[in-house]
Amino acid sequence: MKTFNTMLKTELKLSLRGMDMFIFAICVPLVVLIILGIIYGNKPAFEGAGYTFLEQSFSALATISICAGGVMGLPLVVSEYRSRKILKRYKVTPISPALILFVQVAIYTLYALVSLVMLYLTAKLFFGYQFHGSIGTFFSGYLLVVVSMFSIGMMVGGIAPNTKMAGAIASILYFPMLIFSGATLPYEVMPTVLQKVANILPLTQGIKLLKMASLGLEINSVLLSVLVMIIIAVICIGISLKFFKWE
Amino acid sequence: MQKIINVKQLTKSYGKLLAVNNVSFSVSRGTVFGLLGANGAGKSTTIECILGTKKADSGQVSVLGMNPLTNRKMLFEKVGVQFQETNYQEQITVGELCEVTACLYRNTANPADLLTRFGIADKQKSLVKDLSGGQKQRLFIVLALIPNPEVVFLDELTTGLDAKARREVWKILSGLKEKGLTILLTSHFMDEVEALCDQICILKNGEIVFYGTVSEAVKNSPHEKFEDAYLWYTDEEGQTDENL
Repeated sequence: MKTFNTMLKTELKLSLRGMDMFIFAICVPLVVLIILGIIYGNKPAFEGAGYTFLEQSFSALATISICAGGVMGLPLVVSEYRSRKILKRYKVTPISPALILFVQVAIYTLYALVSLVMLYLTAKLFFGYQFHGSIGTFFSGYLLVVVSMFSIGMMVGGIAPNTKMAGAIASILYFPMLIFSGATLPYEVMPTVLQKVANILPLTQGIKLLKMASLGLEINSVLLSVLVMIIIAVICIGISLKFFKWE
Repeated sequence: MQKIINVKQLTKSYGKLLAVNNVSFSVSRGTVFGLLGANGAGKSTTIECILGTKKADSGQVSVLGMNPLTNRKMLFEKVGVQFQETNYQEQITVGELCEVTACLYRNTANPADLLTRFGIADKQKSLVKDLSGGQKQRLFIVLALIPNPEVVFLDELTTGLDAKARREVWKILSGLKEKGLTILLTSHFMDEVEALCDQICILKNGEIVFYGTVSEAVKNSPHEKFEDAYLWYTDEEGQTDENL
């Protein structure tokens, strides 16, 4: 436990020193929330809806940080630590190199949770946000999104041959998901064609799931999304375990 | 005398290239063992097979009586390793790297004391990447000594150090040896090998061409100086002549 805490503390300091995760995982979601809040204010999501547009978008914004950490941060740090032979150095200590990866997962989970809390407080204080669903369902869904997004990142970081390649793959996954999955640009304002394309992105399914949970809607309509997220997680974790390269 | 490192008929090849061929040697407690040879002679591969970061094709390795592949956790509580490469996080400071290294082990030396002894105590808050070559090298030796090891592996020990710093490192290592520390090192400086090593092993194309003490190496060669003898064993001298 002492080992984990010391490593977490140091790796967190290093991560904050880099600033990029602070910007992409903490600041970006807040900025988008404020913009949507200013544009839509307390308008209902559609005529006769029991919730506001912002309430509908809230859980989508909460996934920006998960996506940034899981699909961008995690693969970059994993491939960097491999190419700098940091993972190899851990092999000649009593600690498994897997621990440092676990520490990174913990750090990106922390970013995501901090982002969630900041979004909630900002939305509540300034835009009259109300959470309509069940907290239990929301956090189960949230956990599922975290696991499946992080498993994508672990797979990319674990099998990309070098840091450059990991960066390229991460960008290809990250930016389309950030823009087209409904995390920043609301899914509801997209043209139908774009919505169909967006449905292919795994994060879109995650957002659907969280929306239902946070708005207290019928969960049955998103069972397919749940299934998609589980399948992604299983496949990516399987590939990571089988093909992960320590050196 | 108790054998700390035992290597028997170690063989390792990469595809068709035979990197290490039938290498056997042992290192006694409290002695310094020098693994010598030109670049590409198989030194690093031998060390990696001993440490278990590479798997040998055949042969046996034991360190402190343990198998590095199956007894990793227990073994590396008592083994310090300094690699040639820069394997630290880009934005990490000296103090942080020492703290993180120390947290991996159950019993450790005080990193601050070690930094003081190696003359880099004032660098605790500096980024590791901002240190000079010599300061980095000294830091990596400090890291290898943090677990209070019984045996340390030092790859290219004093590369990048100035003459004075090298002498200081030698003095510290000799002192640790007196206290029973076993050291396996590689080096390209023959004065260093003469000053520190009780036993040496010279590799050429993955095979042992000499195994014994420095004075035996000189005696068994047509030369009087150890550096000349070393070049004679590795044939580097002949190659330079051909190039002339």
